[in-house]
Amino acid sequence: MSNRFQITLSVFAYVCAGTSGASAQGLAVTAKPAKPAPATATAAPSLRTPDGQPDLSGYWTNTTVTPLERPKDLADKAFFTPDEAAAYAKRQLAVPEPTGPGTYADVHYNMAQFGLERSQNKVAANIRTSLITDPPDGRIPPMSPEARQKNADRAAKNKGHEFDGPENRSLGEQCILWPNEGPPMLPAGYNSNLEIVQGPGYVAVMQEMIHDVRIIPTDGSPHLPSSVRQWMGDSRGHWEGDTLVVDTTNFTGKTAFRGSSENLHVVERFRRVDADTVLYQFTVDDPSTWAHSWSAEIPMTKIQGPIFEYACHEGNYGMANNLSGARAEEKGKTQEAK
Amino acid sequence: MIKWFAACMIAAAALPAWAHHSFAAEFDVTKPVKLEGTVTKMEWINPHSWIHIDVKNPDGTVTSWMVEGGSPNSLLRRGFTKHSLEPGTQIVVEGYQAKDGANRANGRDLTFPDGKKLFIGTNPDEKAPEK
Repeated sequence: MSNRFQITLSVFAYVCAGTSGASAQGLAVTAKPAKPAPATATAAPSLRTPDGQPDLSGYWTNTTVTPLERPKDLADKAFFTPDEAAAYAKRQLAVPEPTGPGTYADVHYNMAQFGLERSQNKVAANIRTSLITDPPDGRIPPMSPEARQKNADRAAKNKGHEFDGPENRSLGEQCILWPNEGPPMLPAGYNSNLEIVQGPGYVAVMQEMIHDVRIIPTDGSPHLPSSVRQWMGDSRGHWEGDTLVVDTTNFTGKTAFRGSSENLHVVERFRRVDADTVLYQFTVDDPSTWAHSWSAEIPMTKIQGPIFEYACHEGNYGMANNLSGARAEEKGKTQEAK
Repeated sequence: MIKWFAACMIAAAALPAWAHHSFAAEFDVTKPVKLEGTVTKMEWINPHSWIHIDVKNPDGTVTSWMVEGGSPNSLLRRGFTKHSLEPGTQIVVEGYQAKDGANRANGRDLTFPDGKKLFIGTNPDEKAPEK
């Protein structure tokens, strides 16, 4: 129990470098307040693979307490002070109060008991108040009216049919795609662990949830023909200095990342900023969904491996049980109506 | 009914976003159960572990139940192993029964008969990173 609040007290300080973006430096605040290191491009450690690539390999977690979008009450505050960030993290990582028996929210298991709440995880803390760095308000730009309509139509079509069959359930429940897999790779609620492996011409990212490995060619090969559409799109990488830049297109419209269309275009940047940290940044663009692109960054902190297998459909009773629960409910309503 | 539904919608919004599936669709809030039984097996399967227990009824007969638990991966990371819950172990389950009336329940709280929590182990991440 004593270690349940084991938190990585390695807080990231972000130093805004003009309007073109943000650069980051690791800043340890374990036992004593640390001084921010100068924000220069050469400050990053020279960590290399045996064949000379910048070394991103290893086991990482992107577990975070920072919300994707900035809470409205912090509208004008992009950064906490380190003290505020520590207090915020402490609040976020507090073990949730148990819900009262008999309440709706209580039909769940005790997250703390099953090791699923974040206080039991390693967390790369963050002085940002949102993962979104651009636009400056830290929020996803408004959807275009056409995209809003398209998403509303989709939701209306599914309304009342949510439990008709497995195909009506979310991609996550169907074990097809989880938001952590991306791209862009956002933290999952739990098991937000991933492994990066590098070799000549390829970088591979294996996510624990739910099982996929992204194999990213870095050999200069072009994207697949636009007629080929994939759940996770088609990723191609290249190195810009010590940064791995990954460009992804060719999504299927069903991927619908936050309501996006098949025209979604994601550019990710991975940079090893210190021995324990990879800074992961991404920009998403989809003119048919948002008026302009938006960007976010998530520090990923080193964890001990291995990544465990997650065979999502092997004995997944949940799907069948959900549907059979729905059938029982329908039967009850029919009898009630008689 | 409408009022209940509205309350559910509000509560659902507050539910953790990390549930793999809808617990409320699977289990029935009106059917809380407390089961005391003997473990017959534990299935280490994702996205949820399942613990099988035999519960002795007052009339001497035995009813087998399946209890849904957390992700095996998280349990492994907290130090739980396949030997931590051997068949024959007595446990107490508090949860809710499946909506379809089957002898399945979610394991909201799992304890040993002495009240100690069944899960919650050590966190291996506390060790120094290997690299």
